[in-house]
Amino acid sequence: MLKKLFFWVITVLVLVIIVAPLAWIYLTAFKGQADLFAADLRRFVFFKPTLENFVVLFRDYDFWPNLLNTLIVSVVGTLVTMACSLMAAYSFARWNTGGGDILFMTVSTRMFPMAVAAVPHFVFFKMLGLLDTHFGLILLYVFFNISFATFLLYGFFNEVPKEVEQAAMIDGYGRMEVFRKIVFPLIGPGLAVTSVFCLIWMWNEFFFAFLFTRDDARTVNVLLSSFWGGLQVQYGLMTAGAAITILPTLVAAWFMQRYIIRGLTFGAVKG
Amino acid sequence: MLSNSPPLTGPLAEREARKPTIWETLTSERYFRWTLLIPLLVLLAIFMLYPLIYSIYFSFHDWGMQGDPTFTGLHNYRQLVFDENFLMAFRRTLEVLVICIVVELGVGLGLALLWNRDFRGQNVVRGLSLLPLLVAPLILSLLWNFILDFNFGALNHVLQAIGLPKLNLWKPSIALFTICGMTIWQWLPFSTFVLLAGLKSLPRDVFEAARVDGASRWYTFRRLTLPMLTPLIMIIVVLRSMWLIRLFDPLFGTTRGGVNTELLDWITYRTSFVMFDIGYGSAMAIVSWAVTMALCLVMFRQLMKQMAPRT
Repeated sequence: MLKKLFFWVITVLVLVIIVAPLAWIYLTAFKGQADLFAADLRRFVFFKPTLENFVVLFRDYDFWPNLLNTLIVSVVGTLVTMACSLMAAYSFARWNTGGGDILFMTVSTRMFPMAVAAVPHFVFFKMLGLLDTHFGLILLYVFFNISFATFLLYGFFNEVPKEVEQAAMIDGYGRMEVFRKIVFPLIGPGLAVTSVFCLIWMWNEFFFAFLFTRDDARTVNVLLSSFWGGLQVQYGLMTAGAAITILPTLVAAWFMQRYIIRGLTFGAVKG
Repeated sequence: MLSNSPPLTGPLAEREARKPTIWETLTSERYFRWTLLIPLLVLLAIFMLYPLIYSIYFSFHDWGMQGDPTFTGLHNYRQLVFDENFLMAFRRTLEVLVICIVVELGVGLGLALLWNRDFRGQNVVRGLSLLPLLVAPLILSLLWNFILDFNFGALNHVLQAIGLPKLNLWKPSIALFTICGMTIWQWLPFSTFVLLAGLKSLPRDVFEAARVDGASRWYTFRRLTLPMLTPLIMIIVVLRSMWLIRLFDPLFGTTRGGVNTELLDWITYRTSFVMFDIGYGSAMAIVSWAVTMALCLVMFRQLMKQMAPRT
């Protein structure tokens, strides 16, 4: 009995610590100026909810256009990443192309420090006029995700038995047909998981978005970061924006429970 | 190659008679595997080799984005060795690395052991715990800055309400630990659930046998559970080191490198993009790249072996 009590006390405590800060975003987003910094604990939760923050955010700031930029960059970036890494992962998984060395090289680019890439790309992009464009940001995001996506997909491809493909080829299917009609449908879940991870990485990315975009392609994270600093921190606006922006990631986390660990460990832990 | 092959007869002859188009060559059984790699290799070459070579080049020059770079030899690197700010940033990064990984492993293992059973609502517990993992670190840093504020942060309101003194978490002596705390908060579920996955996959009969033999729980844990979890602990250490060395976003919404919290990537960023000292910034970037590689490559090879398909 005591053990059970101990178990639930710890569990609930951990959950409160984990959930409270996230809940704080959603509480603050609906608070008016008067409640924002109230010290009374009752007013943490019981306050007069208002949509004021959202109204100001949508009216006075480029929130929707910036969110749209984030969406465009992450969706297009993910599609391109998936196309390239699908092909590469298939090649690695079926023929062990390069005897593992190329695959290792590919994965090790994930360790590549962004700060190293920032300056050269900045100068390069400036020269080509790619600064503050969706295209430029997409290119960078594809590069940063392609190794990860390739490796994750490689793991999923390995789970498709070679015999299935061989059987299909004996039946007269060409290599392309085998890929399209046999393998592709079989790795459906892998495809979904990998895409969601790329999507979320791109959705959350800040460093490059901050350096490389200003107006036209400014992503929503950069807008949110601009509420910090200056004379006053606009917490109401910040949390209102954050409440909308993190919603997809929270939903993804909830529905991908089974796959999060697998994705984050590059497929090493099945979770 | 084709001209040397013997003339074919039968239905294939017609197809082989003409020279294969580029598309046919690329998709032939022999070259298809390489064709599939072209986009990947091209992208990696452009986006990795180019900045690397570029950075190495400029690390030997003095350049401020305007005018011509002047060659200064090893000057930038010599300056780096004696640059107290850089060395401190380096040390802090290592501190963050050790603190975060130790706490995440320790607490994570504790929680994993606690949750390694079937209980009611375990899916809800898992779902809620995993929520922070995918949220943008930048947004979390802005949020923490608000919650932990000395004057109007929610944490201090709570502390005051229950009669405790207010905490100033952003004073220079402890701000770095606050940053660690923020990071640990976000990543604790990661180590917890990796280890939990490990615990769930352990063979039950071994533990049964140990229990029958009268082994104490501590003995079982030390001699059976821990060794069997070692590969997973390795994975956590490798991946977390990789990400922690690159810590940037959590600083942005909070201290911005002030109050003794400047880390490796932040000082590199500041040197290049705030002070526009490209040459010196490149030298920092190269050093930080080399350190990351040295630190991760060995561990990574190990990791790759584990991830290789078990057939």
